[in-house]
Amino acid sequence: MFLTTQRGFCQSGSNNNKPMMIICATENKLHMGFSQMLKSSNFPVKVSSRYQSAASTKASRDPTISDHKEGVKLYVGLPLNSVSECHAINHSRAIAAGLRALKLLGVEGVELPIWWGVSEREAMGKYEWSGYLALVDMIQKSGLKLHVSLCFHACKEESIHLPKWVSEIGESKPDIFFADRSGTRYKDCLSFGVDNLPVFDGKTAIQVYQGFIESFKTFFSPFMGSTITGVTIGLGPDGELRYPSCHDRIKNSVDHGAGEFQCYDENMMSSLKENAENVGNPLGDFTAYGDFFLSWYSTQLVSHADRMLSLASSSFNDTTVKVTGKLPLVPSWYRSRSHPAEVTAGFYNTIYRNGYEEIAKIFCKNSCGMILPGVDMLDEQQPNEVFSSPELLLADIRDACRNHGVEVCGQNLNVASTIKNFEQIKQNLVGENGIELFLYQRMGSDFFSPENFPLFTAFVRSLNQVEVDLDDLGVNDGESVLLVPGKIRKLQAV
Amino acid sequence: MATVPLGTHLHHYCRLEILKFNTDFKKSTHSLCYTNIRTSMLNNGAKSCHFRPSYDSRVLNTTVRASANISRSDTALLDASISDDVIFREIFPLQRIHKVEGKITIRLDCSNNEENWQLTVGCNLPGKWVLHWGVNYVNDIGSEWDQPPVDMRPSDSITIKDYAIETPLKKSSTKDEADTLYEVKIAFNTKSSIAAINFVLKDEETESWYQYRGRDFKVPLVNFSDENDNAVGNKQEFAVWPGQFSSMMIQSEDTYSEDENKNGNSKESEKSFYEEHPIVQETVVENSMDVYIKKCSKTSNYLVNIETDIPDDVIVHWGISKDDSKKWEIPSGPYPANTYLFKNKALRTQLQHKEGGNGCYGLFPLDEETAGFLFVLKLKDNTWINYMGSDFYIPIPKESEQDREVDEEDTAYTNEIINEIRHLVSGISSEANRKTKSKEAQETILQEIEKLAAEAYAIFRSSVQTSPEITEEVVDVESTVKISSATGSGFEILFQGFNWESNKSGKWYVELEEKVAELASLGFTVVWLPPPTESISPEGYMPRDLYNLNSRYGNADELKSLVKKFHKVGIRVLGDAVINHRCAHYQNQNGIWNIFGGLLNWDDRAVVGDDPHFQGRGNKSSGDNFHAAPNIDHSQEFVRKDLSEWLCWLRKEIGYDGWRLDFVRGFWGGYVKEYMEASEPYFSVGEYWDSLSYTYGEMDHNQDAHRQRIIDWINDANGTAGAFDVTTKGILHSAIERCEYWRLSDSKGKPPGVVGWWPSRAVTFIENHDTGSTQGHWRFPGGKEMQGYAYILTHPGTPTVFYDHIFSRYKSEISALISLRKRNKIQCRSTVRINKAERDVYAAIIDEKVAMKIGPGHYEPQSGSQKWSLAVQGNDYKVWEAS
Repeated sequence: MFLTTQRGFCQSGSNNNKPMMIICATENKLHMGFSQMLKSSNFPVKVSSRYQSAASTKASRDPTISDHKEGVKLYVGLPLNSVSECHAINHSRAIAAGLRALKLLGVEGVELPIWWGVSEREAMGKYEWSGYLALVDMIQKSGLKLHVSLCFHACKEESIHLPKWVSEIGESKPDIFFADRSGTRYKDCLSFGVDNLPVFDGKTAIQVYQGFIESFKTFFSPFMGSTITGVTIGLGPDGELRYPSCHDRIKNSVDHGAGEFQCYDENMMSSLKENAENVGNPLGDFTAYGDFFLSWYSTQLVSHADRMLSLASSSFNDTTVKVTGKLPLVPSWYRSRSHPAEVTAGFYNTIYRNGYEEIAKIFCKNSCGMILPGVDMLDEQQPNEVFSSPELLLADIRDACRNHGVEVCGQNLNVASTIKNFEQIKQNLVGENGIELFLYQRMGSDFFSPENFPLFTAFVRSLNQVEVDLDDLGVNDGESVLLVPGKIRKLQAV
Repeated sequence: MATVPLGTHLHHYCRLEILKFNTDFKKSTHSLCYTNIRTSMLNNGAKSCHFRPSYDSRVLNTTVRASANISRSDTALLDASISDDVIFREIFPLQRIHKVEGKITIRLDCSNNEENWQLTVGCNLPGKWVLHWGVNYVNDIGSEWDQPPVDMRPSDSITIKDYAIETPLKKSSTKDEADTLYEVKIAFNTKSSIAAINFVLKDEETESWYQYRGRDFKVPLVNFSDENDNAVGNKQEFAVWPGQFSSMMIQSEDTYSEDENKNGNSKESEKSFYEEHPIVQETVVENSMDVYIKKCSKTSNYLVNIETDIPDDVIVHWGISKDDSKKWEIPSGPYPANTYLFKNKALRTQLQHKEGGNGCYGLFPLDEETAGFLFVLKLKDNTWINYMGSDFYIPIPKESEQDREVDEEDTAYTNEIINEIRHLVSGISSEANRKTKSKEAQETILQEIEKLAAEAYAIFRSSVQTSPEITEEVVDVESTVKISSATGSGFEILFQGFNWESNKSGKWYVELEEKVAELASLGFTVVWLPPPTESISPEGYMPRDLYNLNSRYGNADELKSLVKKFHKVGIRVLGDAVINHRCAHYQNQNGIWNIFGGLLNWDDRAVVGDDPHFQGRGNKSSGDNFHAAPNIDHSQEFVRKDLSEWLCWLRKEIGYDGWRLDFVRGFWGGYVKEYMEASEPYFSVGEYWDSLSYTYGEMDHNQDAHRQRIIDWINDANGTAGAFDVTTKGILHSAIERCEYWRLSDSKGKPPGVVGWWPSRAVTFIENHDTGSTQGHWRFPGGKEMQGYAYILTHPGTPTVFYDHIFSRYKSEISALISLRKRNKIQCRSTVRINKAERDVYAAIIDEKVAMKIGPGHYEPQSGSQKWSLAVQGNDYKVWEAS
């Protein structure tokens, strides 16, 4: 664990932050001296009291979990559309079989996306959890843990929309959505600009999110801390903390364009204007304006993250549930000087500036873990022309997290992977710089396909050194049951 | 006759019959049968006489134990003739205990002078029989044996210690050749003061002793006290045999003896007797059976080879199992020679004798889906050979899991897995401490994980969001409209122009005439009118005189007028032709109604011969029987000629354009072809209605068998008629009623009804006069009819709209769907691309021109090259058109 106490961080932050930034700005991208330096330095590492207590509670409650402390806790995402808009469980038979398979395989739990557009679909404040409750019940019965993702975005691929009433408000107030320079709206999540604007029948977006979270907490309290071990709070498009700069990107593939700034809705523009007035007139100097603009643009993202994470953190403060937020991995143009793709996404991370430090700081401040996707990605699989480097970027962000004691959780980008990708995941997960929680995305036909599933099985078995932990399968000290070996089958081993 | 322990599945027939079996060493029945009146000597002396038919010696049963002590490791020892493509081999030793029933005969004869007696002991089973005997003397007390006096011993006797004599039995010379009797004769004199002769019988070949109820046989020669209860020829039983016996023993429960001197009143005469005691001889026969499997690399089929050295005829009673359950199933062919089906439960194949007569062999081809080969052997003497009390089970080794088909998705399978896992999990955890077991347990877990994954994969795959595979239509798509008797133009929209109540007014034709214009404006192209003939039932489905067209719907002229009116607005008219059955005018001599009148004055030869109710003299029915009326025997040429003529007459006289054929399950589709070719309809459709597949009251997802039966009928009719798509209706029922819209995509991502397999021949409908109306035999989910119409009116096939629905609040919605269908030129061969088949929503794109969804779930067609605009919507359905 690489968690500092909040106080510890503040101290180290106040002492070290500035010099670090200097090092960072001048040297970081030149020869990666920054991270190496940190690795060798004895940076104070402490376990936060909150996590400590959570861990000890767990340990006393369920000894088998503490057995896993050496290994990675693996969660597998359930299908995005597991619960339909009319609150039925989609492909429940397949999910049931899948849950059993995962349990037998020794997987810790599953991840379930819970959609704003499903549970608060009809009217503001009118929540319907029946479908999810049924599914969570199923998960509990299967003996698996659950990590919930609260999704405040829409998903085009699965035809999951924002709540009807949000869309209706959006028709009269289009500025609740992001807009790019040409005025094209991105309607799959709310603009950060309305976080604190009372545009939803007198409520701000944050208040609306809060209502949703509170209702969720109330309805799922029987599962909280027992079956439900973690919650990821949706931070933006696809749940990730970013601007929808590449919103036409194809799912599960990395967009190779630089993307567009998404701050042209009325509220964002007025914020920019206000900010500019406070700073004085930066328009005289083009370079200065660029810096001013990018700072402002990225600060909006950081502020949004702070609002959302603190909301989530305080909401789940009285539970043992681990709160996380997800960052995107925007590796395109990482090898360029200006990192345009990251910048339009809201990360002012260039060769001169580490954009992830302030993000990590916010995660630390709110005691939230950070989910990093793309731990399966390999530089060698990236097209050459976009100067992409997922491996370096990931290392970069993880360094930032380590600096601030933010726990990193891994997630993969592609469902069906090659052996190499699994190797890459494994490398990222194990070792001294290990990751404790990994969300494998995601259950479905690709996941169970004969091409992928055997690889996944082998991957899981290689993670848990103890192969399949028999004690995990439930204890029954009754009479022994004769094992009937099935057909002669070979598992495709790696 | 006892039964042989066999697998449970065999129980029902191994008790069926007792075969009379003659062993190789038959004897003439007569040789032993002195008289057929026998008195039970054990019946307390009572002279109760009864018949007992004499019996041959026969084999009772054979207990067979086969053990597998040679396993696959023996493959290395295979001889050269069995090449290396053998993937399995096992040699089973077969140990048969051959039980033969025979009898021991005991006969005491008195000579003329009443002093010289002769005891004859015989046995009709082959063997090296020896009589082991001794005597009791009159003044002896106790039951110890003594050696008989020397003059009493036959010449070839040998003495055993000091108390017994052994005398071999000799083949009897007096018996005829067919039967063999071994016997020994002991002559003695009453003056020798012998009180009794004791004996047991021994077969020196098998070292078996035969005694009487565990005791010696005892033949009393003087009056004994009743204490001795093992006396033969007396009311007493025999004394205990003190010696050691092998497990073989005589089973002589009943003693039949016969008093030769029925009038006898003297002591001596009472002593003369004859008795038979049934015995069972058991012999162990050792044989072996060699089973090996070869895989044919070309066809990937398997070839099971069975060889045995059993010299007799061997019948392999076999089946296959398609999974691990060892459940017997009949494989699809080809079968080996000399194979026949046994009660639909198993196959029986007689093995071929090897050249030289030493044993026999058989080859059994199995397809690659076979998981195991199950069999027992049946020998000609009704002897069964099984494997340690259960069937022989030869698992077909599969090379790797990758070969396994993964799309097993029936519910039963799932439940089975879940149960297995449940057992497994508890089983494994209790094994947890035993480390030696953990490897095995892990392997088992991994296997189960794989099963589950395969299961989940199959389901997820079947409900993929967008199926890349476009339903390709086998039938040629031609630019010019081609009329065929099954499809019309291909753009037909059918209207059922009546319901179950339409006969009530008596003037339906007139009433319907008023609606003709409206029906035309709605866009129908074909109307189906009720059965026009005279009928016993008012609805017309019990026709009698086919040429009498006065019915409860109106008279012939009104009908003609109606048809003319429809033709005027461009609607073709189908007549409801009821030709499966016909009600008779007259009774035959037995009072059975099976003689017809009218123009078609057929006699009982026109009635199928296999319906006992109507005593037809025709052939067996070529289909199912309709039980309320005589079923017409279409195999009779005169019947077909008459019916063809009748159809042609209706075409000409009334102006019908085609047919709706009632109850076509009742006769072979091939006859339909003949009628269609004779009457040349513009359009015709058959009603092939039988039940869908249900498991535990829940409709199966896979209704392929059901639609296959309909397809088979269409094929029999050579595609000259379409058929109502009952499958689609049934699946729509479940999908809509239970919110299980995933049912609307089959395993290949196509529509699950007939329309998915042969769209141009599928006449889709959601309700008719039988299923709905006032009968309601199988009513479409109430209030949700529009979802059904949104499906059939946007999909390929020829849709039918029921009268009750068009003249209801649904009219405008149906009308809108019909116009949309016509506007977009959706036809019977249009292509369907299923976009969603999930729990609560089904969505499809037809011909890339129309998008539709039914169900409460959300769906929006994705705008790509075309933009979609919502055209029709209603309760839980939406239809879009591409613009």
